[in-house]
Amino acid sequence: MALLPLSAHFENDVVALLIPVDDQDTARVVGQKIAEHVVGHRVAARSAPIRVRYEGRVLPPEQRIGEVGLGPLDHVEAFFDES
Amino acid sequence: MTGEHAKTRLSRSDWYDLSRDTNWTFRYVTEEAAFPEELSGSHRVSGEAWTRWDEPYKISYREYVHNQVTKDATTYSLKNTISRSKLFDQLDPGWKSVILAHYGAITMPEYLAAIGEARMARFGRSAAWRNTATFGALDEMRHGQIQAFFPYGLLDKEPRADWALKSFHTDNWVVLAVRHLFDDMFVANDAVSIALQLTFTLETGFTNLQFLGMAADAMDVGDLEFGALISSIQTDEARHSQQGEPTIKVLIDNGHKEWGQFLIDHMFWRSWRAFAVLTGLSMDYYTPLESRRMSFKEFIEDWVVKQFAEQFRDFGLEYPWYWDQFINEITWYHHAIHLGVWNYRPTVWWNPDAGVSAEEREWLEEKYPGWNSTFGRNWDVIQDNLRSGNIAATFPETLPIMCNLCQIPVVRAAGVMAGALDSAAPLRHTHNGRTYLFCSEPCKWIFTQRPERFAGHKSLIDRFLAGEISPPDLSGALAYMGLSEAEQGRDATDYAWALGPVRGI
Repeated sequence: MALLPLSAHFENDVVALLIPVDDQDTARVVGQKIAEHVVGHRVAARSAPIRVRYEGRVLPPEQRIGEVGLGPLDHVEAFFDES
Repeated sequence: MTGEHAKTRLSRSDWYDLSRDTNWTFRYVTEEAAFPEELSGSHRVSGEAWTRWDEPYKISYREYVHNQVTKDATTYSLKNTISRSKLFDQLDPGWKSVILAHYGAITMPEYLAAIGEARMARFGRSAAWRNTATFGALDEMRHGQIQAFFPYGLLDKEPRADWALKSFHTDNWVVLAVRHLFDDMFVANDAVSIALQLTFTLETGFTNLQFLGMAADAMDVGDLEFGALISSIQTDEARHSQQGEPTIKVLIDNGHKEWGQFLIDHMFWRSWRAFAVLTGLSMDYYTPLESRRMSFKEFIEDWVVKQFAEQFRDFGLEYPWYWDQFINEITWYHHAIHLGVWNYRPTVWWNPDAGVSAEEREWLEEKYPGWNSTFGRNWDVIQDNLRSGNIAATFPETLPIMCNLCQIPVVRAAGVMAGALDSAAPLRHTHNGRTYLFCSEPCKWIFTQRPERFAGHKSLIDRFLAGEISPPDLSGALAYMGLSEAEQGRDATDYAWALGPVRGI
């Protein structure tokens, strides 16, 4: 259990945000933590699941973020998966 | 004066060159000791070559004092007359935000610019240059004074006019950005670099033109006081900004064009960043629709791109290497910053005007085709929240990532949305074990060219993560930034724009 501050944005939003997560959080939880600040605030909600992308790779929803090899202020992107 | 005396008086051209030549030959110290390179920045070129520095705009001290007294008398008397009227109360709320933002961001830098001018007045290698810069230092003192005094007169109507003096004593995020910029540009800079970066790049390239437009806008919205103030400053700037031209000419004539190009490339980008934030928002969102004569994009294209850029091409300089990125950003960057500033409105000392009513959106779409399908969609969500009474959803709960060079929020995501960038991730660079984040390639380039100049500075995010902001949340950040509840920005029109007719209905 360790605090991991990330840089993150949600697709179709305008700004990168400071998102503090726990390194034991799953990608699904990280996606939710990003969405909390954006979806319904500046990006309209949709019924599609939210995924997280890091360096172009979509992370499995149950993967723990600490296992991805992310460091402080590394950048991740959350998005609605409508595929 | 008798007629006899008038006949014998020399014309200025008879004595000007002699009177400004205060150079002498040093016998007790070396040239290097009298003009240390760190402060002068002039030793790429010989002392003899600097004697060919010649200012295009010549003025004597007597003429200078006469002009300045006239300007001050006119401007102050206008202010005294207007201060007894209800003119300020009748101004458009968005325009009030323009002038509040301006006073808080610009008054203290004007004072500090006197240090920059004084550095050229002491460490410029040409006597003519030192003479011109002395007038420049006097100009900047006047600009500091007048831009502190005018908002002082507004205090009973708008207490946040106090930010003209207060802002630079806070760590507000806008002030961190402005202070970082101006420390780089003139407070912690050498004479040659100041001439090229302050007077040539910022003043000739951006502010001199902006002040002309701003004075006209002020008159158009009925703010005679601010219009007179800005005109009075602009006429000084038109004179002292001309120190850049002879300085770049001496560098080029003596084989140091590359150094001049580097200094200009460095500061053109930084000037663009600051200008987009302050002027972009003012022109495209805060100025009342009926008073907008051109969009920010049109202004940049007509004045900065055509006129200034052509001027520096005339000197044989090249467009900065990032020119395509700059041109590209004109269409989207300030829209993203505006959305962010409005969203984070409690963090600024003015009331951001959303400027996105149905009519204003039509104007934005006309000036920036595609605006409605990009930024408009973000504003739709905000508007829906306001119309349903969910105002809390329009406020932020975390901080944006800040660029370690310009100290402005990283909005690359908007560049991706606008189709201009491939990646929203901040750019990274590690120096002496510390990782720095940047909003753009030019900001990263400026940092990496001379990292020792910037590496010690901590962005708002660095301070937050280092535990310097307590409690570690937005309320702690607001307190850290010096904003009491009464000072925090609110929507300029109390959401009137959102509650009116919806676009297309």
